[in-house]
Amino acid sequence: MQPSKVRTFFRKLLSSALESMLVPLLAVFTAMVIGGVVIALVGGNPFFAFIGLIEGSFGNAKALSETAVWATPYIFAGLAVSVAFKGGLFNIGAEGQLAFGAVTAALIGYALPGWLGIEIPAIIHVLLAVGLGGLAGALWAAIPGALKAFAGGHEVINTIMMNYIALNLTSFLLNSPMKDPDPTNVSARTPLIAEGARLPVLFDGLRVHWGFILALVVAFLVWVFIWKTTLGFEIRTVGANPDAAKYAGINVKRTIVLSMAISGLLAGLAGSVEVTGLNYRHELGFSMGYGFDAIAIALLGKIHPVGVVLASILFASMRNGATRMQFLTQIPVDVISVIQGLILLFVAADVIIRFIYRIKSRGDRVVLTRGWGG
Amino acid sequence: MKKIYVIITALVLVAMLMPACTPTAPDCTKADVLCVGMVTDVGKIDDKSFNQSAWEGLQQAKTDGVADWVQYIETTDAKDYAKNIATFADAGYDVIVTVGFNLTGDTATAALAYPNIYFIGVDQFQEWPYDADTTNDIANLAGLNFPEDNAGFLVGALAAMMTETGKIGSVCGTDLVPPVWRFGEGYRAGAAYIDPAVEVFVVYHSDVGFDKTFTDPEWGAATANTMIDNGADVIFGAGGKTGNGAVTQAATRGVYAIGVDSDQYYTLPEAAARMLSSAMKLITPGVAELIGIAKDAQAGAAFPAGNYMGDATYAPFHDLEDAVPADVKARMEEIFAMLLSGELTTGVPPVKP
Amino acid sequence: MDWKRFLFIALIIVLLFTVVVLVGSAAQKPIVIIASMLATTIAVATPLTLGALSGLYCERAGVVNIGIEGMMLSAAFFGWFGAIYMNTILKLPAMASLLIGLVCALLTGGLMALLHAALSITFKVDQIIGGTVINILAIGITGFLNRQLFFEKGSIFGGNVPHAPGTLPVIHIPIQEAIESVCTSETCFTIARAFGKVFDQRPIVISAILLVIITHFVLFKTRWGLRTRAVGEHPRAADTVGINVIMMRYVNVVIGGMMAGLGGAYFTLESVPSFEPLMTNGRGFIALAAMIFGNWTPFGAWAASLVFGAAQALQINMQVFRDSIPAQWAILQNSYVVGLTPYILTMIILTGVIGKTVSPAADGQPYEK
Repeated sequence: MQPSKVRTFFRKLLSSALESMLVPLLAVFTAMVIGGVVIALVGGNPFFAFIGLIEGSFGNAKALSETAVWATPYIFAGLAVSVAFKGGLFNIGAEGQLAFGAVTAALIGYALPGWLGIEIPAIIHVLLAVGLGGLAGALWAAIPGALKAFAGGHEVINTIMMNYIALNLTSFLLNSPMKDPDPTNVSARTPLIAEGARLPVLFDGLRVHWGFILALVVAFLVWVFIWKTTLGFEIRTVGANPDAAKYAGINVKRTIVLSMAISGLLAGLAGSVEVTGLNYRHELGFSMGYGFDAIAIALLGKIHPVGVVLASILFASMRNGATRMQFLTQIPVDVISVIQGLILLFVAADVIIRFIYRIKSRGDRVVLTRGWGG
Repeated sequence: MKKIYVIITALVLVAMLMPACTPTAPDCTKADVLCVGMVTDVGKIDDKSFNQSAWEGLQQAKTDGVADWVQYIETTDAKDYAKNIATFADAGYDVIVTVGFNLTGDTATAALAYPNIYFIGVDQFQEWPYDADTTNDIANLAGLNFPEDNAGFLVGALAAMMTETGKIGSVCGTDLVPPVWRFGEGYRAGAAYIDPAVEVFVVYHSDVGFDKTFTDPEWGAATANTMIDNGADVIFGAGGKTGNGAVTQAATRGVYAIGVDSDQYYTLPEAAARMLSSAMKLITPGVAELIGIAKDAQAGAAFPAGNYMGDATYAPFHDLEDAVPADVKARMEEIFAMLLSGELTTGVPPVKP
Repeated sequence: MDWKRFLFIALIIVLLFTVVVLVGSAAQKPIVIIASMLATTIAVATPLTLGALSGLYCERAGVVNIGIEGMMLSAAFFGWFGAIYMNTILKLPAMASLLIGLVCALLTGGLMALLHAALSITFKVDQIIGGTVINILAIGITGFLNRQLFFEKGSIFGGNVPHAPGTLPVIHIPIQEAIESVCTSETCFTIARAFGKVFDQRPIVISAILLVIITHFVLFKTRWGLRTRAVGEHPRAADTVGINVIMMRYVNVVIGGMMAGLGGAYFTLESVPSFEPLMTNGRGFIALAAMIFGNWTPFGAWAASLVFGAAQALQINMQVFRDSIPAQWAILQNSYVVGLTPYILTMIILTGVIGKTVSPAADGQPYEK
């Protein structure tokens, strides 16, 4: 390739990247401005607030590490919801799949050596804990998938129901059979998992662990799977038009179960990575609400892996920086929810942003979900 | 059209440049400035429950001139406990209050990491259960605990003496939180102490997540209704807003209501007319007192490392003063004195077996 | 919904009641248990029914609404705020304050729905996004305002807990007197007293039941309903015969929002006189499930809500009668196990008996001319 052509190529790439990032960036900016006005109206200082928010999320190594810690489960769970959307399914059950994955990972982490009666090499133990946690999530999601495919049970109802079942089940497990027998323990939690079942941290003294790297790798793999493989193509086709998919000879029922299982696998990984990389046990009250945040993250990331990673980091930095913001200004953290809602609003309804800043539309509207579909 | 944008921009700028009304923090690293920070459990500072009571303790310390500066951070996720504590510690705070038994481990870790800072852990038992061995105690950490079972016992006894139907009820948050469980079982034990024949309904809201069990007043009201339908004529609500729902519902249906934590005659004005008493655990004075002790400890006095027992009692009868017979009042005082002296114990273990 | 489904749902509810009666009969008269469970079932089902009706109006017109939760939560807050403001600051009488609060709740629900409608219909944003935005915003706005208005010193209530004007009063339907007038035996009087209480319900509970009937009538017996359904099934065909698709969708979504608003008002103006952040506790999502469960019909949604209500009543009663549970059924003493019942039942009913539910054909799709 001639140097000039290379230059043109990069210029084009840059300008297209800029163009596609412009609206989301302006959306974030606009949401922050509105959030700032809200803060000012109640007598807070928006500049201090945003300085705190940025300091607390990107200000130093520790802050960056904590942002990555927050982002890790978000990426997995966001990918989970995205894959289901790609397959034309609405998985509101990431929350339950995550919990089930976390419980399983914890069980494998603390109990497996005892069951087998042997020392398990660290690398195998941690892979088993993470992997089986993911599989547990896959199983938990495959049930509503199968009910949808073979019995016509609606996945929205069934995933919501499975959330509550998972919740009651984990409460039961953590409170009786799996409860930490340590006499000083008063919480509903499992014992600590074995050293060998833990994901190592990336840097000494910081909490960010290999789970974050794993999340990025998995995001890449999801992209390859959905866009570059036959199965991925089938999932997308079923998601876009099940009738056409049937006509094209795709096994629609199998594909529905598969989409849900993969979605659940990713959500389960979110849970097992939290257990093996961060908490080293599962405890009631930990890792709650990610399943619902994940819906917003998937939609904000336009159900594309790259978008999901960026959206996760954005949400993570806001949740993480909120501590420092509150420390500096005593503003209620709920203002973060307001800003997050507005960001989603403006990114989704880019018409508003394009109107305010006079940006011409490129006229491509991506269909993300198909409502309840068939 | 463009003018509109100029105006909007100007408005936004003016709004942003508005001077901050919040006073700025003093330099907490200075030796003569006493800064007290508080980290909540997952939950809000305005929860009308333990977070708020503890925060009022900090504010009282400031009003009393003990503390120069008080500040809180609300935890939004359990994994942030350590980070939030460190935020205060790194800023040079002198005393850090952490609220809720979930923070027990992270508070102890932080106390070891920051030996020059005094830590107060509300509802955090050091070495469960009631360890007499104090050699393991961390020198700069005091767990502020309350005998909730005594408070529950007292109102349970009161309920058993006041019931006409022989049936009383208690609507509680999840039994997975030891203080809640001790309130509920103490209530049962207190009623049985007065009259084993009294039927006691104790219902825990443990079928939902931790984030929902204390914020479900509608469920509390529905549960209180069921109890009243079945003949209960005294309802004790012990579980944040879930319990509050039960208490207000009891008052609406005209039976006796018993509050929890603070004197809810004041915090639940809707139920005041039927508010018989409240099982009180005095978090606010306990926190304020410990902050004062920590301040003295900085100057060299002793710090009560290990467990520090706060007070639990029952609230006055207020509007129902005349409805409570004199012999019941006397009996209550007698039981209270016996519990204090240790002559009478509730028999409730510190944690659900 | 055909009669078989109703029969099955009725059977499930009877089964739940029977379990409690069997367990509790040692301690309480069956008639009292049944009456008490009926009252709980109807009360618990109320916000679910209204939420499901909210979804129904939206989705019958072709707009998916997963923002029911957010609409209920914000209506609960602003309804309560309106009532307290009128009562405490403007010194209006309690009843007037409550009614104004009710109007505030309806308006809040309607406004949230208007936002959803604008996003989904005019801007053609993915309808799931509109609902998600509403859910997130509702949590943020209510939490933030609740703090600023009621907690911070210097707020309009000075940081004190304001005295709420109470709750909407019970409407007495004289069933008890009617039965008692023909009574001769003591049992009969017991029945009269027990069931008299079931009919002593409050306004929002009663209107929820009336709204189920009205919605059924409107959707299936009127021109308006026919048009709404046409817009949800075949918007293009509807457009061709001169129905204003956009207008029909807007109006139905806003009506739906007001239903959710009434459901929100139930929490703070009728059930308990206070607002708590996150107090709807996921009931908007259960309502969504109830609507789909009921196959997008008002009576179906109501029946589904009653199943959830009955299961909740079961869960409460099993704990109340915990000491009467026979030893061989000890598993039922575990509240987590009993807590699983409604959800497992729902899944079984859905897959085993009811089978495929059919959503309106154009549900979730923006209409473009």
